[in-house]
Amino acid sequence: MSGCDCKKYEWVKVDKSKCDGCGNCVEFCPRDVLRLDNQGFPYMAYRDDCWYCDVCKFMCQLDAIELETVPYLIR
Amino acid sequence: MAIRRIEADVVVLGGGSAGTFAAIKAKNANPKARVVVLDKGPIETSGAIGRGMDALNIVSVPGYGTPEDVVEALTKVSEGILDQDLAYTLGQGTYGVIKDLEDYTGREPGDLFPVDENGNYKCNYLHPTNKPLYLAMDGEDIKRALAREVRKLGCTVLDRTPVVRLFTEDGKVTGVFAFNIRTGQHYLISAPAVIITSGCVGKFGMPRDGYLSGIYEFPGNTGEGFSLAYHAGAELVNMECFQTNLLMKDFNGPACGYVVIPRGGYGINALGEKYWSHGYWSGDMFLAVWKEFMEGRGPVYLKLDHLPEETIQGLEKILWGTERTVRGQFHKQRNENYRCWDSVEQGMEEITLCSGHSMSGIFVNKNTETTVKGLFAAGDCAAVPQQYLPGAFVFGGIAGRAAAEYAATAKAPKLKVDVDNLWKEIRAPLDRPDGLPVDQVETKIRTKISQYITPPKSDPLMQKMLWWIERMRREDVPNIKVRDYHDMIKATEVQSIIDCAEMATKASLFRTESRWGLSHYRLAYPARDPKWDGKYCVVKKNLDTNEMELSSKDVQKYKWDYPNRLEYDYPEMKHDLGKGFTHPPNDFNDPWIVEKVDREGMDIPKRMFVKKED
Ligand SMILES: Cc1cc2nc3c(=O)[nH]c(=O)nc-3n(C[C@H](O)[C@H](O)[C@H](O)COP(=O)(O)OP(=O)(O)OC[C@H]3O[C@@H](n4cnc5c(N)ncnc54)[C@H](O)[C@@H]3O)c2cc1C
Ligand code: SF4
Ligand code: SF4
Repeated sequence: MSGCDCKKYEWVKVDKSKCDGCGNCVEFCPRDVLRLDNQGFPYMAYRDDCWYCDVCKFMCQLDAIELETVPYLIR
Repeated sequence: MAIRRIEADVVVLGGGSAGTFAAIKAKNANPKARVVVLDKGPIETSGAIGRGMDALNIVSVPGYGTPEDVVEALTKVSEGILDQDLAYTLGQGTYGVIKDLEDYTGREPGDLFPVDENGNYKCNYLHPTNKPLYLAMDGEDIKRALAREVRKLGCTVLDRTPVVRLFTEDGKVTGVFAFNIRTGQHYLISAPAVIITSGCVGKFGMPRDGYLSGIYEFPGNTGEGFSLAYHAGAELVNMECFQTNLLMKDFNGPACGYVVIPRGGYGINALGEKYWSHGYWSGDMFLAVWKEFMEGRGPVYLKLDHLPEETIQGLEKILWGTERTVRGQFHKQRNENYRCWDSVEQGMEEITLCSGHSMSGIFVNKNTETTVKGLFAAGDCAAVPQQYLPGAFVFGGIAGRAAAEYAATAKAPKLKVDVDNLWKEIRAPLDRPDGLPVDQVETKIRTKISQYITPPKSDPLMQKMLWWIERMRREDVPNIKVRDYHDMIKATEVQSIIDCAEMATKASLFRTESRWGLSHYRLAYPARDPKWDGKYCVVKKNLDTNEMELSSKDVQKYKWDYPNRLEYDYPEMKHDLGKGFTHPPNDFNDPWIVEKVDREGMDIPKRMFVKKED
């Protein structure tokens, strides 16, 4: 990932009060964008590979993950 | 890490729409066949239909259309460059696909697909024919249902394990090499039959918004199928016919014309005028869009605001519910609303190579055989013009059956590969201490593609593209640096994109005419030339010299006499460009400059200074 690694630049957002760290979103992201951080919450490890496809949200049983916005460049 | 060796009967290279169907049908045909499916992602969600799909864009079902109607539509939009057997086979197969999809998803007629009062699947008009050949679908879950079926039947599925090499021996397929993009676990798989179903060249041109993954197609589809088939010696055709889809600008998802037009929407230009004669994605329509921009009437929009409120709400439900579901949010962020005339701005943002929507790909016959023994191809990478999702399913299924049958009679191949050296070569971008960031190399080749070969195509620009290809292969590719296995696949992807760019450029220079509207609008030859009627342009690697060879070959003789042209004309412009500037050899010294430097030295020439008044 080039440029800023700033977490604010992640458009996929996790609601930590709902997420149980099951890793479903990580396993089913078709672009292998997500990883669990050391607290067990998903984050965008390969942010710029994201196709804003919404699969992560769709695969989350707990409604804990969301595309807060579309990627900045296409917004 | 030790290599894993697998012996298989059938390898499916890409578990998308065509690949999952291929695996299922191979297992159905021969339950004992060892079928291995490899994909860049998890097969439940990867590929074009990972998040669902809302229509089968071309079908023939009882009460609405016949296989002959499919032949008629495709003959017209391919402008005669069509093996009509392929189109007929597509038309014949779609009803079976509908039944299979209901079976795999466990859904009833009327649920996954709409039915009419007679119990027939209810089709709509879309194609430039007077028959309805478009079937809506509530297909949110179809990819997961297909994946479930693949696993249930006992196929070996290697998720996140893209294929990076395809092997042949004596002109026959022998196997593949792949690695896992998380763990680096690598595999040598021997098989007499390989089905390429790795989709289109989705990452090809650069979208104008500049976001590498901001494209219409699934960004994992980067042309490995095209490139691997080429290096195995297979023929590719129609590489000069570019896909230039009219997309929802910047979002670059479908502009939803196919959903909107049957319900009364239409395209307008900046003056609010309707400017299409039909909304079907074909080269003539893209030419019409291009003209609007050239003549100062862009931006263009998809108009919905005249539709009744309940229709708009229905459209929002469909458009924001499957396929590219973030669309609704995109509009919201731009403060756009379908009740305003200018809320869906459209643009032709990128070029790609694809036979789902256009017609480029690996040459196949109606049994999905390529010109290499044991190699089959289906879906967006196999040259079946405008076959869309139904084509991926129909021909994926045919490929699965054909490959299983072939494998049952073929001898087990012997793979002679120096795996240690091969693995070293593939992981070189990871092992080298320093180098060029792979995303920058990708940006570079894709921006060059956009700048130099986007139609209308200019000969001097295309020549310059070949110069760039040569230079990037020599200087950039050997210096790519990546940080982990996830990024390591991108080094292969960049090389596939470069291979595809070379094929596309050379094919475009070979076909000395314009055809398919904007898709191959060549400024030096701005008209259709009858001498190219019924002729493919073929790209093939000469395996003795390793050179790319271009040739033409006849399209199969027509069985049905349908018109092979949509009504349109190329614009009147001054196209007499000549050959363009050819750069002199680099050791060439301009005598005028030499004389000047001798006379004036290397200082700034005196004439650059304002002379002082004495
Ligand atoms: C946004 C969008 C909307 C569409 N809407 C419609 C529609 O409404 N109706 C319709 O009929 N058609 C539609 N289409 C077209 C249709 O979806 C495609 O034609 C069809 O899905 C193509 O299937 P495929 O199997 O060839 O490719 P895909 O389904 O994309 O599968 C290709 C697979 O290959 C994998 N892969 C790539 N490289 C490698 C490698 N090196 N090794 C292993 N695996 C690899 C990828 O991960 C991917 O899973 C749409 C397409 C898109 C992108
Ligand atoms: S799927 Fe949902 S609950 Fe599971 S890790 Fe992802 S966000 Fe958390
Ligand atoms: S939107 Fe799609 S590509 Fe992006 S992180 Fe979620 S699942 Fe992955």
